[in-house]
Amino acid sequence: MILIGEDLNVMSKEISRAVKERDPEPIRRCVVEQTHNGMDYLDLNVGPVAKNPAETMEWLVKTVQEFTDLPLCLDTTNPVAMEAGLKICKKKALVNSASGASESRETMLPLAPKYSAGVVLSVMNDAGLPSDADERASSILDSAAFANELGIPNEDIWIDPVLLPVGVDQRQVVAYLEFIQMIPDLAPGAKSICGLSNLSYGAPRELRGLLNRTFLVMIGRYGQDSAIVSGFDKELIRINRGETPEIVNLIYRAMDEDDIDISSLAQKELEYVKTTQVLMGKTLYSHSWLEV
Amino acid sequence: MIEYEAPLEKYTVNIREAILGKGQKTIKIGGENTFPFHFFEGSLPNPPGLALEILDIQPENWAQWVSEPFRDVVFDRVKWAKKCVEVFGAEVLCLRLLSTDPIGKDASPKEAAEITEKVADAIDVPLIVWGTGTEDKDSQVLAEVARLCSGKNLLLGPVLKGNYREIAKAALEHGHTIVAQASMDANLTKELNIALCKFFPAERIVIDTTASALGYGLEYTFSIIESIKQFALVDRDTMMQMPILADFGGDCWRTKEAKESKEQGILWEAMTGLTFLLAGANLLILRHPEALKLIKEMISE
Repeated sequence: MILIGEDLNVMSKEISRAVKERDPEPIRRCVVEQTHNGMDYLDLNVGPVAKNPAETMEWLVKTVQEFTDLPLCLDTTNPVAMEAGLKICKKKALVNSASGASESRETMLPLAPKYSAGVVLSVMNDAGLPSDADERASSILDSAAFANELGIPNEDIWIDPVLLPVGVDQRQVVAYLEFIQMIPDLAPGAKSICGLSNLSYGAPRELRGLLNRTFLVMIGRYGQDSAIVSGFDKELIRINRGETPEIVNLIYRAMDEDDIDISSLAQKELEYVKTTQVLMGKTLYSHSWLEV
Repeated sequence: MIEYEAPLEKYTVNIREAILGKGQKTIKIGGENTFPFHFFEGSLPNPPGLALEILDIQPENWAQWVSEPFRDVVFDRVKWAKKCVEVFGAEVLCLRLLSTDPIGKDASPKEAAEITEKVADAIDVPLIVWGTGTEDKDSQVLAEVARLCSGKNLLLGPVLKGNYREIAKAALEHGHTIVAQASMDANLTKELNIALCKFFPAERIVIDTTASALGYGLEYTFSIIESIKQFALVDRDTMMQMPILADFGGDCWRTKEAKESKEQGILWEAMTGLTFLLAGANLLILRHPEALKLIKEMISE
């Protein structure tokens, strides 16, 4: 799976300060570590950038490109900042993100063909977030057709089904699993992408990685092409590289509801099994799902 | 010709049976292995418990229709309690310790516990004792009630995320049952039950999702109660297999519809209650005796 590192994000106090004060050092550390850990892209989340959007994004893209050769995924809701960044990206960039909503169609989506960039296209539309797999399908068919008309080929479309926190709505997680299996038929050639960490938003901090890693394996099995992930989660990266086949195999068996002899499992293995059961919607989620 | 047979679902687990009260004053709730009123499909050994509520202070701002039946007794909690049981046929009584509200009278845990003991001793039905939902104060009040009424198996609530340790510990020590409350959220309900069951017996827990009146969020309550019952029976989730309480009298009688006319108010409360029974509630706390009567009639048919 293509991994996009999410850690360069103004939600982080340190990064926010660095961007505001144009201090390259924290940026360098964050970029170098994620690159070193093996990310394929780096996400640059600058938020809505109310002040000096163009200049801020320009500075950040330039700074990041001094420290890495990775392609960038520009993450802002501000089209002015987006365009300023796209202009100076050395490699083919990703616009993160556009959607089926009217405003996005008018201001964000046209930037992708203009700068030959790929675009993350979410299933959101003017009505908000579709509630099930079928509604996601009809929304994305509509938005992808519109993108094609703007001259964006399916190959440059990265479909984001929008992953909601498991603690908020478990059924949406199950709907996600259904939907990604439909993507190759809906938009042949398009890729799927998701913000993986959103899955565990609100869960106990020490358990977030477990949810994220388990789900990465599950969606990988269903054909997920890429995910925006923490570039600091080394275990996740190892799993993605195929270095832990026994964990992957165990998660597959839990997905298939194989009869697994719980007593033979090590603690860590048992945690992956329980987590898979929660993410398949077989067990009701609670923050202490590992304790029952 | 092939004879048609309606398909029936079989569930392999039961909702836990909770016992309220002690000795002669006992009722059981829960215990079913199917959905509400599905008598054709499984067994529902215990009818829903129907409680009437009284306050430990004189009611303020109650609609006249709902004050009326109690006008002669609201000055005296024991008389009020006895009237609910002996005249209005309440099978369970709920005593709300509103006097302990820290932003109100702020009565001491000791005072509240003494009142509770008097009321409990005066009636021959199980007693629910309800705090003000203030985590700190309730943990002191309900712990003191538990202590003074040791062995009476009261149903103490609401037990919340922030005070479950203190209240459940006292309830365990003195032999009471508790109501675990998480507002309108199945995940948090499970969370609280998991935390409680680490040291408290599951068969002495009743779930409260918090409940809203018809026209004011009833459908949210319905969905949550219904889904908890589904997790319990279909998914066999042991942390959701506790009987469920619905407490909505206050919410019903706050609505402008209930205040408009007596008949409308009584129907408002009765229909809200019946709806929650259809969702799967095992115990209702009601305010108006006529609403109690109506529900009794409807479910006995």
